[in-house]
Amino acid sequence: MNHVTQEEIVMAYYGERFAHLDDCEECRTELARIAAVLDRVDAPEVPEPDADYESRVWQRLEWRLRGEKKRERRREWIRWGAVAAVVALAFVAGLFWQRENRAVAPQSVSKPAQSPNQIVSQQQNQQRQRDRILLVVINEHFDDSERILVELSNLKPEEGLDIGPERARAEGLLASNRLYRRSAEDRGEENVATLLDDLEPVLMQIAHAPSQVSANELRAIQKRVEAKGLVLKLRVVRANVRGKTAASYQQPNV
Amino acid sequence: METTDLELVERARGGDDDAFRLLVERHSRGIYRTAYRITSNSADADDVVQETFLRAYRSLHTYDGRASFTTWAHRIAVNCALDLLDSRKRREARHDSSDDLSELVSQDASPERVVLGAQMQRAIAAALQAMSGNERTAFVLRHFEGVPLEEIGAILGIKTNATKNTIFRAVTKLRERLQPFTGSAS
Ligand SMILES: [Zn+2]
Repeated sequence: MNHVTQEEIVMAYYGERFAHLDDCEECRTELARIAAVLDRVDAPEVPEPDADYESRVWQRLEWRLRGEKKRERRREWIRWGAVAAVVALAFVAGLFWQRENRAVAPQSVSKPAQSPNQIVSQQQNQQRQRDRILLVVINEHFDDSERILVELSNLKPEEGLDIGPERARAEGLLASNRLYRRSAEDRGEENVATLLDDLEPVLMQIAHAPSQVSANELRAIQKRVEAKGLVLKLRVVRANVRGKTAASYQQPNV
Repeated sequence: METTDLELVERARGGDDDAFRLLVERHSRGIYRTAYRITSNSADADDVVQETFLRAYRSLHTYDGRASFTTWAHRIAVNCALDLLDSRKRREARHDSSDDLSELVSQDASPERVVLGAQMQRAIAAALQAMSGNERTAFVLRHFEGVPLEEIGAILGIKTNATKNTIFRAVTKLRERLQPFTGSAS
């Protein structure tokens, strides 16, 4: 007679039917032995959460869902924003080019209207305008980043601090940070590119932190910000960039 | 009459966050218990609860009402818990609980039932720790929660025979660990 396997006996304990067990005393004894062990295995005690548990779960979840919706809207916005930005950029660039072209006109009077030089200078102007717009955008990015870093630096490290909002913002900034860094490198804006480079790992650390950080995690973030002197650097570079862009925006009106 | 889960899901799909809140309030405690049994840690169980509802929210449109919302949400929870165990395992060298166990077993068994009960609980906890993520999940679902084999297989993405085998391996580990308590039963 073929006895049932050990695995089958375990399955029999959990309700599977084996005809063999009806006839075989030996296997029934083995089943009883296993049952004696498994019957004593009660679920490990689960610490019962307090009465507020459900509302705490919801509280923590609610803003994550809000972040979820915001991200959804942002995706929507980015889709439309990308189109709008191209249109705006083309328009603004065209506008500046016309004004600047008139402003620099004295230099080009002596030359024929459509000289290759002039075409090159038109293109340069256009490029310069685009760079300025980029700098303005990056400056806003620096402004947002600085605010997050300052907020986090001012927090007193405690257990379970909720940095959800900062984290969500850092996450948003992280994607654009990479994009801007590449653009800044392309355009030879070295200071800007370096700062963006320094900023990236910090934004990443914040974006990937749990929404409720431990005191140690927060301290690690603060240390990193401090070690790189990031807040100060952000202020300096922002002031520089602001100066640059302000000067160039006034130029056409002069 | 109380609104059914399915009605709440439909309202939540339409953007009604209050409906989703009701679902969270109804099911978070149950999911917490399952998550705790798999992760054996309340902070992890909390994270699993959060992640479960976040994933549920994102995939509400895939819920077709064939399984109960409880089953559907538990399925997500088990997967979250397994992901968590996986990432933890990758991060740190697996904690070898055999040391704790030898310590546990070498303790003189007190004749008092209460103490024995507590030791047994610890041995069970140690045995659960010694199981792989799949083994623990399959065992927890079958033994503590009475989930049918086919359902467990669906959750773990394995065939029924493999599920049986997984549960068998889990039970074998458990029996080894519990030997000191059950072997000498007169
Ligand atoms: Zn037999």
